[in-house]
Formats: sequence, structure tokens, C-alpha cells
Amino acid sequence: MAALQNVSLHIKPGEFVSIVGQSGTGKTTLAKLLFAEEHPSRGEVIIGGWDISKIKHSEVPLLRRQIGVVFQDFKLLPKKTVSENVAFALEVAGASAKRIREVVPQVLKIVNLHDRGDRYPRQLSGGEQQRVAIARALAHKPKIIVADEPTGNLDTINAHEIVNLLKKINEFGTTVVLVTHNREVVNHLRRRVITLQDGNIISDEEEGRYRL
Amino acid sequence: MRLLLRIIKFAFQHFYRNFWLSLVTVSMLTLTFLTVDVLLGLNLSTDAAINNVEKRVDVSVTFKIGTKESDVQNAASYLRSFPEVEDVGFVTPDEALAAFKTKHASNPTVLASLDEVGGNPFGYELDIRAHSADKYPMILEALDHPSFRDFIEAKDFTSHETVLASLSDVTTKARWFGFALLAIFLAIATLIVFNTVRVTIFVHREEISIMRLVGAAGWFIRAPYLVEAFIFSFVALIISGLVVIPAILIFNPLFDAYFETNLLLQNFFIGQAFWIFGLEFIGAALVCMASTAFAMRRYLKI
Repeated sequence: MAALQNVSLHIKPGEFVSIVGQSGTGKTTLAKLLFAEEHPSRGEVIIGGWDISKIKHSEVPLLRRQIGVVFQDFKLLPKKTVSENVAFALEVAGASAKRIREVVPQVLKIVNLHDRGDRYPRQLSGGEQQRVAIARALAHKPKIIVADEPTGNLDTINAHEIVNLLKKINEFGTTVVLVTHNREVVNHLRRRVITLQDGNIISDEEEGRYRL
Repeated sequence: MRLLLRIIKFAFQHFYRNFWLSLVTVSMLTLTFLTVDVLLGLNLSTDAAINNVEKRVDVSVTFKIGTKESDVQNAASYLRSFPEVEDVGFVTPDEALAAFKTKHASNPTVLASLDEVGGNPFGYELDIRAHSADKYPMILEALDHPSFRDFIEAKDFTSHETVLASLSDVTTKARWFGFALLAIFLAIATLIVFNTVRVTIFVHREEISIMRLVGAAGWFIRAPYLVEAFIFSFVALIISGLVVIPAILIFNPLFDAYFETNLLLQNFFIGQAFWIFGLEFIGAALVCMASTAFAMRRYLKI
């Protein structure tokens, strides 16, 4: 059985889109299709004019340098400091030391962690750890941020902070795709909402609400 | 260049973050290197021993009493014409008698027996030395030449043949044992490297998944493991060198005294250190890298 079927949608540059639905409805699969972690068995996935449905293995890193990804479990390296975690994304992509020295403080400032650069993830709260993950996602100055349940492990206050941060990033012009099943977050955003059920889009509203 | 430096940095991080695993891997490789060095030393010792025995080996040909000197000289010239022959010593009956008397000067009974025989009981003698011991059977055969076959009283060689045969037998067995040990150590080292890489991949699975997510190229993720294999070989080489070189300097005088050589061990290992250690390193690094590549193919899913 396919995780997604008959799904057709277009996300415009600079949009903030929430993809909602209950567990197992295909939200994460849809997110994974966007950064080529999954490949469609049929159909096309086009990012900025680039059909990535049959993307070559060697081209995946290039795609991922253009898409920032944020996960529920943060995926930070515990033995690296906040700055090192952000720098890591640039290091593995071959950025120069000069560029790393410039970009890391910039993105930490955006997420309001410029004074926590020397801390280790275990010394931070859940919300702060997620902000580090967002800073790392921003390091490549991506055109798209895909956030898969970024508030799943956070309390209400921290969840709102993260959503506000994503809104701020979106205001700078970055497209944000937020995968969530957090009703409050979706209703607070008042942006486009795509609702999935059993692998199908059941609604797509410009200024939607959580309707399940 | 920048990426290469980062790959090396990550490889060193793998190496010291899994210190105990790295230690076991390096120890096994060090043992393999030491086995190779011991085998080389053994080879050198047996060559020196064989040379030593061969130097002492010669064939003594005694001519019948009454054989003319010119016939013996002809035989000597004939033998000297063989490239296998290193030297032919010519001993006159008088010289043979004098040598006998000197040898048995302290034994009056033997000397008295000379008087009983009356006159000089020795004929001409040729002492033939070949370049190597395996040429003697051919030389002995050559002495059956019809021109002087009938003048020859005796050919003395057999006792040396036994010594050489047993030495050669022991040497061959020791070499086989050494090669078997080397093969076992190399196989263990290969398996340990494989396991180390497997565990390192497991330990770094989180880091690897993050590297993939943030856009690291596949080769960039794999390369540090190959460089780590290189580091294992290099560290093991340094440790084995630190053991082997002082050992050579300590044992060289004993070796020289026993085998009557002149700095043979030292000249071989230290004089040719570049080749010996260089080839050991290249061999080990290739084996480790092949093992790493196999482990990555199996366990590193990018």
C-alpha cells in the first residue's frame, strides 16, 4: 500500500505551508520526498524547476545544501558545541574556514543563541536545542526549510518560540514547509494548511485551521 | 585541499574516539609487521649459516702415489675452467706430509706409523672450493673425466653433504612456519580492521546520518574510514620500527660473532629500512583499505 497517492500540490516561493494530519497519514513521507530521502514510485517532485523524482545518488548532497531540514529529535551531535554543530553543516559541504567564521555567528544570532555558542546540547533546553537545529538548517542559506514535527518534543511555550522563529525566517523570504499535528501551532499561524488523510490530500486552504 | 584536511581531521577523530578498538587493531598490525621482520631476520640468519658452512666445504681429491705433477696440474686447470669453481688448491706430497706431521705432532703413535710405512705415503692433492654447495656433485662428476679418472685415489665430500642437507631442511621448515604465522596474523589483522570499521560506523551512525542530511557527499563520508586504515598501518609501522631497530642494534654484535659476519643484520635492516618498512607499510595499508572498503560496502549505507 502506498504511503501517499494522488497527491498534487504546488508551493510557491516564500510561502509558509503547514502539512497536517494524524499519525501515519503520510506527512513525514511527503517531507522526505522533498529532500530526496524517499523517492516516489510514480509521479514527479519538482523543486525550483529541478525534477528530483529520479535524482542521481551523487546529486542528493547538492539538493540538501539548498534545503534546510529540522526534525523532532533535533539530531544534534552531543560531543560538539552549539557553534561546532552549526559549523559541521558547512564543514562537510567544503565551506572555507573564513565563511564558517562569518556564517555561524550570523545564524546563531537569528535564532537568538549567539551567547550559547560554546555550550553543549545537553546544557540547553529542548527549545534551545531545536533552535540550534534551525540555525544549522539555515547555515547553507537555503531557499526552503522543511521542518518535520519540530515542536513534537517541546512544551507549549517553547513550541510557540520555534513557530515564531520559523515565521521570522519565512519573512526573510525562505519557503517553510512545516509538518505537524499540533493543533494550537497550526491555528496560531493562520497560513496555508494542507491536510492529509490516508495518504490523500483532503483539504488545502490558504488561511487554514486544524480540522481533524 | 580544504576537504582533504577535513577528511584527515575526521579520520583522526575516529581513531582517538575509539581508542581501545584502535589499540587492538594497531597491536595486531604491529604483530604482523614484527613477524615479517623476524622472517626477514630468519632468512638472513639461515643464509649466513649456509654461507658459513659452504665456506668450510670443499672437495679434497687425492691422487695415487706416483701420479705425475703435470697430470695433476692438468686436472687443476681443467677444474678451474668451470665457472662454478671458486678456487682449486694444489698440495704437493711433501706439503701433505708436512701438514700431516704438524697436525699429529702431539701423537707419537701416529708419527711412528709413518716410519713403519716408509717414505712419503701421500700423493698430490687438490682442494676444490665451489661458489655454492649444490655445485659439488657436478664437480665430482667432472672428475670422472677419462684423462685423470685413473689417477684419482679418493674424493672426500660426503660428510658436508649431510650437514648442508639438514641445514637446508631446517631452514625450509622454519620459513614455512614463519609464512604460516604471517598468514594467520594477516588474516586476524584483516578481520580486526573489518570489525573496527564496522563498530566505528555503528558508533558514528548518528553523525553519518546528520552528514547526509546537511549535504555531505558520499565520498566525503567514506574517505575518513579509508584514511583511518592508513593511520592504523602507519602507527603500527612506527611502533614496530621502535621495537625492531633497537633490537637489531642490541643483537647485531651477537649475530656477527655467531655467524662471523660484519654488521650484516644492521646493514640489511637499517641500510634498506626505506624499502623494508616502506613495502611493509604499503602492503598493510592496502590490506587494511581493502578490508575497510568491504566493511563500508556492507555497513555504511549512504
